[in-house]
Amino acid sequence: MFDFLIQGFDVALTPMNLGLAFMGALLGTLFGALPGIGPINGIAILMPLAYTLGLPAESALILLAGVYTGAEYGGRMSSILLNVPGDAGAVMTTLDGYPLAKKGLAGPALGLSAISSFVGATIAIIGLTLFAPLLAKVAVLFGPAEFFGLMVFAFASMSVMMGNDPVKTGIGAVLGVLVAMVGVDSGTGVMRYTMDMPELYDGIDFVVMIIGLFAISEILLMLEHAHNKNADDEMPPVGRVMVHLKEVMFSKWAMIRSGIIGFIVGVLPGTGASVAGAVSYTTEKRLSDKDNTFGTGDMRGLAAPEAGNNAAAVGSFVPMLTLGIPGSGTTAVLLGALMLYNITPGPMMFTERPEVAGGLIASLYIGNIVLLMLNLPLAGLFAKVLTIPRWALVPGIAILAFVGVYQLHSDLMAIYLMLVIGVVGYVLRKLGFSLAPIILGYVLGGLMEDNLRRALSISGGDTSILWQSGISIGLWIAAGMLLVAPFIMSKLLPGKSLTHT
Amino acid sequence: MRIAADRILGVALIGLAALAAFNASQFEVLFSYEPVGPKAFPILLSAILAGLSLVLVFRPGENGQWPEKHVALRLLAVLAVLLVYAMLFTRLGFVITTFATVLLLARLFEASWQKALIAGALMSVGSYYLFTLGLGISLPTGLWLPSFN
Repeated sequence: MFDFLIQGFDVALTPMNLGLAFMGALLGTLFGALPGIGPINGIAILMPLAYTLGLPAESALILLAGVYTGAEYGGRMSSILLNVPGDAGAVMTTLDGYPLAKKGLAGPALGLSAISSFVGATIAIIGLTLFAPLLAKVAVLFGPAEFFGLMVFAFASMSVMMGNDPVKTGIGAVLGVLVAMVGVDSGTGVMRYTMDMPELYDGIDFVVMIIGLFAISEILLMLEHAHNKNADDEMPPVGRVMVHLKEVMFSKWAMIRSGIIGFIVGVLPGTGASVAGAVSYTTEKRLSDKDNTFGTGDMRGLAAPEAGNNAAAVGSFVPMLTLGIPGSGTTAVLLGALMLYNITPGPMMFTERPEVAGGLIASLYIGNIVLLMLNLPLAGLFAKVLTIPRWALVPGIAILAFVGVYQLHSDLMAIYLMLVIGVVGYVLRKLGFSLAPIILGYVLGGLMEDNLRRALSISGGDTSILWQSGISIGLWIAAGMLLVAPFIMSKLLPGKSLTHT
Repeated sequence: MRIAADRILGVALIGLAALAAFNASQFEVLFSYEPVGPKAFPILLSAILAGLSLVLVFRPGENGQWPEKHVALRLLAVLAVLLVYAMLFTRLGFVITTFATVLLLARLFEASWQKALIAGALMSVGSYYLFTLGLGISLPTGLWLPSFN
């Protein structure tokens, strides 16, 4: 049953794909380290390049997945050194990472967190190898009705878990789905929301959407941050990145537990690294914080969220590869990248395109080792990235955004559209929206409608087909429970929020 | 200024939902093989959007921090620079427009003139050769640099 993995290693071990895995790991760590450029931005910027370079699908996916996992490693740098999370997944890393750096233990903290990341990711990669093919076998039984139910479930779990405002998460997702409606309707050929602009007949291009929403809005946000400097910008010296075996052994259970928790959270559709970091940190605090040392620079408080968020990053590949439902905002972007290649991930991918599924999984094993080797000795060097001034960084992002969008169709309209989307993204972020639900909605919207229409075509318009099979009933019940749970919880535990991330 | 931003957004989104639903109701299908058609799903979405937005109007969240006036002016300046960059991108070519854009953006992010000039020169020429020679992307050329496409 592991044929796909053997075939995958054949793919991943070709010199070009090895090089791409290395490149992805390196660039990902850099993107993750730079404040403001998280995994999604990194992938958004590189995706059009991978496409124009004519990389085959599996190679592009290996590169982009390397960027994704690398960014989760890199996100810890600014958390530990500057108390500013490099990306959403590294928020909890600041809690004990920064106090450690303040104590003069920046080097050991970087080292320990690299090892935790490695342990967490390794647990999750093994989990992915074991569970993905099994889940794919179950998923073969899914018809359009079940897929529709699954997507409803994904949106429900996202609304509850992601961000701290379920209403805004829901609105974001619906807006994303509406954007996906733009263009010629594939079923009937009717123009929808094209405003008579021929450029919109094919819909709003995925790359334009991502780069506008993330990169352009980020530029605007960075300008604002440049003006309220309250964080002290002085970086503690990194020193030698050395971890004692004792320190690793001290936090080994924190790593292993958090790795497992992170994997499970990652597998749940709609919840990614940021939720995993929070859940694994609070769990570890509850279990092992006997002397109230968490938050003051406890090694375990650093190891837990780092193992958790890296495990979640890998775990979120499970629903993406087996069901075609992304487990996180970043895998939603990767899913979109695959669709550019006319590959729709799903249960058939392990049998029909084993080189893509297996190659990706094999490259995760390789990339994880590369990342550990890069991040242990070179952490001090990567930390230098944090000193790149904004006045150099922002024009760089702008150039990459413009070139990335322009080279799609050599079309200025796309650039204007990107700018408009960027402004909308900025306003939404200022209003407390997170962007991941919008992207998830945008990526899943088309699939959701297709499956609904296909299901109702089969039944001749009878909606009861949507809840006929056991699988769909289970999914609807699970979705309903997720949506109701927070209200019951807040009734039972007044004043305590579960969803702070 | 004590009207919660969320309320304004909520009302605007309800407007958007109404517009989207109305627009969807105009989709004309000549013939259809399936029972659902192109209208139903967008109308369903509009209804959900309107419902959620209504919650926002009645239970707005905290008002976010909005930029002060001078920051807001700079934000507009950054947007203007990017817009002009887009407008002149093909007409004047990549190198000149990129040079000017990097220069102005760096200035807006408080670099000195000297640093901004160096950044502009290095990034425009460097990225041009990186993209065209290194990555084989065709970029609009200026009049004064050889093209490698």
